[in-house]
Amino acid sequence: MISNFPPGFIMIIGALLIPFLPHIIRQIYMMILVLISAYSLTLGFGIHSTINLMDFDFILFQSDSLTLPFAIIFHIAAALNVIYGAHEKQWKQHVSIMSYSGAAIAAVHAGDLFTLFVWWEATAFTSVFLILAGNTYRSYRSAFRYILIQVTSGMFLLAGAIILLINDGSALLTKFDINSLYGQLIFIAFGIKAAFPLLNGWLQDSYPEASEIGTVALSTFTTKLAIFCFAKCFAGTELLIVIGAIMTFYPIFFAVIENDLRRVLTYSLNNQLGFMIVAIGIGTELAINGAVAHAFAHILYKGLLFMGMGAVLLRVGTCKASELGGLFKYMPITAVCTIIGAISISAFPLFSGFVAKSLIMSALGKEGLVLVYFMLLFASAGVLHHSGIKIPFFAFFAHESGIKTKEAPLNMIIAMVIASALCILIGIFPSTFYQILPYEINYQPYDFSHVVGQLQLLTFAAFAFICLWHFKIYPPELNSTVLNSDWVYRKMMPGVLIPLLKLVERMNQKFEEVIMISFSKTKILLSNTMLKNKVFDREVGSDTLIVIQIFTVFLILIFIGQFFYK
Amino acid sequence: MKGLIKKFGKINSSVLLLCIIFLVLELIGHRHGETSIEDFTFFPAFFGFLSCIIIFKIGVSLRSFLMKDEDYYDK
Repeated sequence: MISNFPPGFIMIIGALLIPFLPHIIRQIYMMILVLISAYSLTLGFGIHSTINLMDFDFILFQSDSLTLPFAIIFHIAAALNVIYGAHEKQWKQHVSIMSYSGAAIAAVHAGDLFTLFVWWEATAFTSVFLILAGNTYRSYRSAFRYILIQVTSGMFLLAGAIILLINDGSALLTKFDINSLYGQLIFIAFGIKAAFPLLNGWLQDSYPEASEIGTVALSTFTTKLAIFCFAKCFAGTELLIVIGAIMTFYPIFFAVIENDLRRVLTYSLNNQLGFMIVAIGIGTELAINGAVAHAFAHILYKGLLFMGMGAVLLRVGTCKASELGGLFKYMPITAVCTIIGAISISAFPLFSGFVAKSLIMSALGKEGLVLVYFMLLFASAGVLHHSGIKIPFFAFFAHESGIKTKEAPLNMIIAMVIASALCILIGIFPSTFYQILPYEINYQPYDFSHVVGQLQLLTFAAFAFICLWHFKIYPPELNSTVLNSDWVYRKMMPGVLIPLLKLVERMNQKFEEVIMISFSKTKILLSNTMLKNKVFDREVGSDTLIVIQIFTVFLILIFIGQFFYK
Repeated sequence: MKGLIKKFGKINSSVLLLCIIFLVLELIGHRHGETSIEDFTFFPAFFGFLSCIIIFKIGVSLRSFLMKDEDYYDK
């Protein structure tokens, strides 16, 4: 019976009990919830649970070769989040993380668009509390913007689902045509959550404002759910190749100049999503495997990097590169784990990023997409620059900041060590890792050309950074705000729209005045004429006169209109 | 060699040494890329070095109009 529950559902229901449990029992309880949810994955592929409401079959639990890798990594991430957040005594964030993870897992197993919509919105409403947990005025404002944008995404999804249902009589979650209206609406909904270029502002705005635990959870689920949905519904859509290539490319420059290291990681997240989107756009079996493998590996190494920066934030109270430095001697384990995350994301051989990214690059090479290939190669050098070097270097080395602190709490270290071990294991045993991918694969990432080419690319990119730093060409990090696409609704719209609305309001007032004066003059004129010529035997009220005026205008318009519609 | 390590630092010198090793490796074996352009000798090394410099230059030039005060949105 319990295995027929959609995976994740038990985590959402179970989260309701969390506030009533003492701290240690709560942690064990949450881990049990994750395990019970994961047990549902043993049912195999197919439709396992449906519910009929209002003559519509909601498919709550459907699993296939694409849902499985996402379900596995979401469960692993949920378990890591439980461990990483174990030092937090307050229940609020635990409820939020457990229900958020559950909603994302349930969304992956949705078989129709309406079920997906429910979980889509549930991920938004459960995760917003993690941003609020940042507990600053900025995080409060950011959370408000976050929920507005997430709900907007949901509205696009719902509109697409309704149109599809009206057109086809079905809203199954399957491959959609981008040229149809519903396809475009659903595409935009997914695109918002996947942080497409110019729709990405919410990501860099909100994630760095969340609590140290919250950002780790946030980095895992929302965007990767969107990636899953694109892989399910828009695989092979060529537009995605263009969008993905831009995504890999432009966040790099923002990441280079950003001072807040957690925000640097959100730009890096955006850039990594671009790799996955390109692969989905290619749509071949190798490319889809690449997208899924990259999502899987990315959740681990990006989570690990966010964990490292979360530990720094917890201990030091800031993640600003300009204020950090020299923490290696105080937080050596955190530093080593962060470096492992940095090496993994940079795609060094023997680490998870390499075995995942190689699939995408090979897929691009096979399809002959040379320009996109070199854009992604350029982006790979960029990843090394901002995530591989900048993050660990400015936090743990660079200059002596004078900060004295202690190592991260034990639970955080355990979570980071597990994530680090997984990054290395995936890198060492790629063939085992490839077995969970959607399509059968016979691919060997460790050939001479791949390994030497990648090592040359990365070491020389690292050497360039070293030269820039050593010869003091690299400018110092500054306390600053880097403008992003959220500037449009945070500054431009209030800056332009508010004066514009005030102008419209003033014009409206003037117009009303003119209309009222002309009405009263006309009324007086009509009254005088009517009374003089005895049109009515009885007294004519002003309301009647206004109706007569409107009717007269209406007749004039009809008279003029007939010339146009002959 | 010792002078270089002293001047450049242990870690930096190690990276330089690795760079040289990976260049030599290419000369020993036969490396081929996913595209024909990559087949040029030492192409990934040039590409990696230049990419990093270009990213840095563009990033720094963007500072002048993308970088604002820390309380820019709070004003």
